[in-house]
Amino acid sequence: MSDQLSADIVIIGSGICGAMAATHLLKQGASVLILEAGGPIDRGRVVAAFRNSTRKSDWMSPYTCSDIAPHPIYKPTDNGYLVQGGPYPYPAEYIRGVGGTTWHWAAQAWRLVPGDMRIKTLYNLGVDWPMSYEELDPFYQQAEEIWGVSGAENTGSPRSQPFPMEPVTEPYAMRRIRERLAPAFPVVGNTTARNSRAYDGRPACCGNNSCQPICPIDAQYHGGIAIQTAVDAGAQLQVNAVVYRIEHDDKGHIVAVHYFDADKQSHRVTGKTFILAANGIESPKLLLMSASDKYPNGLANSSGMVGRNLMDHPSTSLTFDADEELWLGRGPQSPSSINTMRDGEFRSEHAPYRLDFTNISRVNSATDALITAGVYGAEFEKQLRHRAAFEMSLKDVLEVLPNPENRISLSDQKDKLGLPKPKVNYAIDEYTRKGAARSHKDFARIAEMMGGTNLRYSAEGSFANNQHITGTMSMGIDPKTSVCDSYGRTHDHDNLFICSTGVMPTSATMNSTLTAAALTLRTAQHILPNRIIATEQGRG
Amino acid sequence: MNCLNELKKPTRRVLLKGLLTAYTASLIPFALAETVDTPEQGAFVALSAIIAGRQSLDPVLAGMLYKALVEQDPGFPQAAKELLALINQRQIDPMQLQKTLDDEKSSLASVPRKVAMAWFMGVVGSGAQARCLAYEHALNAQIVADVLKPPTYAYGAYGSWARNPTVELKKEVNNV
Repeated sequence: MSDQLSADIVIIGSGICGAMAATHLLKQGASVLILEAGGPIDRGRVVAAFRNSTRKSDWMSPYTCSDIAPHPIYKPTDNGYLVQGGPYPYPAEYIRGVGGTTWHWAAQAWRLVPGDMRIKTLYNLGVDWPMSYEELDPFYQQAEEIWGVSGAENTGSPRSQPFPMEPVTEPYAMRRIRERLAPAFPVVGNTTARNSRAYDGRPACCGNNSCQPICPIDAQYHGGIAIQTAVDAGAQLQVNAVVYRIEHDDKGHIVAVHYFDADKQSHRVTGKTFILAANGIESPKLLLMSASDKYPNGLANSSGMVGRNLMDHPSTSLTFDADEELWLGRGPQSPSSINTMRDGEFRSEHAPYRLDFTNISRVNSATDALITAGVYGAEFEKQLRHRAAFEMSLKDVLEVLPNPENRISLSDQKDKLGLPKPKVNYAIDEYTRKGAARSHKDFARIAEMMGGTNLRYSAEGSFANNQHITGTMSMGIDPKTSVCDSYGRTHDHDNLFICSTGVMPTSATMNSTLTAAALTLRTAQHILPNRIIATEQGRG
Repeated sequence: MNCLNELKKPTRRVLLKGLLTAYTASLIPFALAETVDTPEQGAFVALSAIIAGRQSLDPVLAGMLYKALVEQDPGFPQAAKELLALINQRQIDPMQLQKTLDDEKSSLASVPRKVAMAWFMGVVGSGAQARCLAYEHALNAQIVADVLKPPTYAYGAYGSWARNPTVELKKEVNNV
């Protein structure tokens, strides 16, 4: 057993980033051991669990929460895992399990726009990234080809190579929205890791309209596919392995990680290079938990920035009845958006945003609303059909600026294994609120152009969360103000790398996973096993 | 099979019509000839028909929902009976039913929502005790089944969602 607990590369977390790094490094000849805190996730079981769920709008409900590695659960009751420190609630959702949180996503595969990476220079806000968009472009392309990304070239993100496949067929409802909003608002197809044709052994989309919480046919890429690829390539995967400490030597070199199994037996795993890929909340938690005499504030934390600068994408929304039948729910869930406010001089005044049109079936939410309103008898059928046909909804996806006060830290509460639960402090600043106010002008105009009636804005001052956890282990040039360099290598530990959305120093307006995946591939290339092994031999 | 007729071994069957007044019978003329095992079950079936507003209800699903409702709340059969009696007596319109009970702070106010949740969403009970007994056969899926599939069920071949559903609906009507 002991000789199995060692590898050239030890990766903490089996999600999409950890798994993609593993596959890349395995192909270079390294041995890879992946430690996953949660248990296995099976697609068929998740589909069945969703169909049997009593809360169809709660997309976490089909996923099992591990006893020993809990994730935040809010319904039917809050499990209290993510301790809220205020002032604004941050009800993050993520999955601790094999394959991680992208089991449960809309497969939005967006690139940033170049300006997103230079907002300090361009708008005197936030920070610049320690690399250019051009440097990231080839890694975006690699990630898109692994995932099978479909899209069109009119979304504002430059590219030097074509998309791997054509855009997914536009649902009728989105076509009508696009036609009616033109030319005032250009509605474009979203770039998604969703197959518009058979790709890499997976079928084309057949419109199950359950992208979240689960695609029943794997027509969209996700971490479950990524980890299967890594295992097939030779990765060792240890499940129910809850890493609770990263161990260093007297020079700050990482030598081992320690994990508890389901019986709270402790195991020590050695390696040459370590990759932390346990998401933007669990990863900083582990760095902070690994504090030692030499590093009393936690590992990789000489800057004090571990866990800080937490960002996401808050959203407000407008729901209304269009003046024609649209019947949302046919085709994929999130097909179209308006991208014109992603970047521009206005960014010095307020947050940029993307406007996203949902194509999620209205049936479940309308049923809930009608029962709540006590609509019974023949009228129920009439009103349900009306809502399912005419109702539409859009939301803004807003940028949050890095702010060290928004942070993940260790709470004084413990989980079942006696490990600290994470605590979050979060606030939404004027920059983001002004962006929301600006987007509401678009909301109103769009409703007018769609002949909208029965307008229902989300509650004033209330923001929904999009689960795009960024910033908590930000990359940067200066070790005094950032946690890792542009390759994800921690400034303080030469053989500890981070692959996560948490390394993104700004949040921009787009779903963060593709950028994290591109950064991961860049990190994995930088780690090239030969270089690491040679370094190890030199050191030894 | 878990059907209504097997919930208890009946000695005599009850005709649903016998539980209704002329007013409630007028709401659910289609259900009058149905038989049930007990007046309590009959009250549930009658309430179901009134609240769901449908021309017919699946008797097998009715049996499963009733059994689950009774398991969740042993007082449910009596409450259902009392609510039906109230509707019979006061001739309450289905659209006014919930508001009337809420306004009067009636002890029966939770009953219509339980029945509605059961039939429209296939869910019985609430919170951690909730159970799902139907999904694709729940009425909210059935009501729109000519246009939409319940999420997780394939809509159709790749790209089929580009078609205008209202044109398809009109074609169906014309073909009848």
